[in-house]
Amino acid sequence: MFLKNLYINFKKYSFLLQQLVSRDFKVKYKRSVLGIIWSLLYPILNMAVMALVFSNIFKFSTPGVNYLVYVLSGLIMFNYFSEASNLAMGSVVANFPLINKIYIPKYIFPLSKCLFVGINFLLTLIPLYVVIFATGTGVNIYHLVLPYAYICLFVFTLGMGLILSTVSVFLRDIFYIYGIVLTLWTYLTPIMYDISIISSKLQIILKCNPMYHYINFIRRIILYHEMPSGFTFAICGLSALIVLAIGLFVFKKKQDKFIYYV
Amino acid sequence: MIKVTDVSMKFNLGIEKNFSVKQAFIDILSRKKKEKSYFWALDEINFEVEKGEVIGFIGNNGAGKSTLLKIVAGVMKPTTGKVEIQGNICPMIELGAGFDYELTARENIYLNGAVLGYSREFIDGKFDEIVDFSELRDFLEVPVRNFSSGMIARLAFSIATIVDPEILIVDEILSVGDIAFQQKSENKMKSMITGGTTVLFVSHSIEQIKNLCNRVIWLEHGKIKKVGPAVEICEEYYKSQLG
Repeated sequence: MFLKNLYINFKKYSFLLQQLVSRDFKVKYKRSVLGIIWSLLYPILNMAVMALVFSNIFKFSTPGVNYLVYVLSGLIMFNYFSEASNLAMGSVVANFPLINKIYIPKYIFPLSKCLFVGINFLLTLIPLYVVIFATGTGVNIYHLVLPYAYICLFVFTLGMGLILSTVSVFLRDIFYIYGIVLTLWTYLTPIMYDISIISSKLQIILKCNPMYHYINFIRRIILYHEMPSGFTFAICGLSALIVLAIGLFVFKKKQDKFIYYV
Repeated sequence: MIKVTDVSMKFNLGIEKNFSVKQAFIDILSRKKKEKSYFWALDEINFEVEKGEVIGFIGNNGAGKSTLLKIVAGVMKPTTGKVEIQGNICPMIELGAGFDYELTARENIYLNGAVLGYSREFIDGKFDEIVDFSELRDFLEVPVRNFSSGMIARLAFSIATIVDPEILIVDEILSVGDIAFQQKSENKMKSMITGGTTVLFVSHSIEQIKNLCNRVIWLEHGKIKKVGPAVEICEEYYKSQLG
């Protein structure tokens, strides 16, 4: 019943969704000189800074694979997650003036943010492949499986966005709390270091982090030229679906109450 | 067409929008049981509206008129009771609520149209009509943030009133812009109301209600006090107001 309604709603409001995504896109680049080039430049510059700091100052390295590709592949995945979940979190509260005036399915706001950052994410794949080729890492047939990890990442992030946007309605403190959580999360995800450098106890904790598995999935393919294990496939898909299910449940249960907190 | 059955709406006055840790501590320490204070904005409302009817709602501030319209429009869910509706609803939303000020007028026509539930084909087809009505053709590529408030209101009004909805919800007749445009916008709204659509109309202008409505529902403290022909009920209401 819920799913059927969701589908009907989705069909009716797909034009609005598209407008919201394109609005975000236009607004993002409207007043910058380089515009969309920033989407390509930003991850590269980010990677350069990270690589400079961590490989030269902290002497991090990843034996056998290129450190630049290692950092960038982790970075684009995690940046997608942190940016999309952050924007999705604030999207319902930001649209209160609309929600208070007209019926719009409310999930459309976090969804549009996740899609908008998703398009940006696809653009960051361009610099990723530039670095892959420039460093001589090269591609392989398994690259065709990569979209699986991207979809898992999207589904997971959407679930998180739904949970966070619901919480933000009732507890505005979440904007600050989540900022801190994200910082912690960044360090608990092996983006610029290899998981083998930390103690095996801590590794177990890190492996409870779905972001680790999505990043690990693409690194297996991009860096190590091998198919991810069946376990990795399963845990990526399952963690994403579970979080999305929780997100849908929480959001659906609470969405009629949003209006009282406008 | 519209059938409202036993609709009640309870507001919890205790909802603290500014919940704080400090307050939570005080509450725990003082062991004061939070008094649950409720307020029934609407209490067992029943009415039906036939196709093509123009229904007016009158009543003092806080009588529940706007809450009722929000429930019919689907913005709020009633605490109990149900609302059945056949046909598409056009709520005359506050002008420009769906605008993004960084976008141009052209982009905002599409964005705001989508918010109002129009399809792309519909907006494509009506685009010129919207632009002509708003008289803003020369400013189509200008970001709305550079518009004057009158221009924004004109654009928003033109987008919102372009539809021929089956059900129209009007919270006060709007007249926006300069004097010439005010005249034009008021006429446009009147022609929408009298154009054969079903209309739910809230206004504090008894004259407008009398002129435009077939039937009037008089709300008082969340209850229907009286229902009847517009002229009759309006006069009674007017007299009661004067004491």
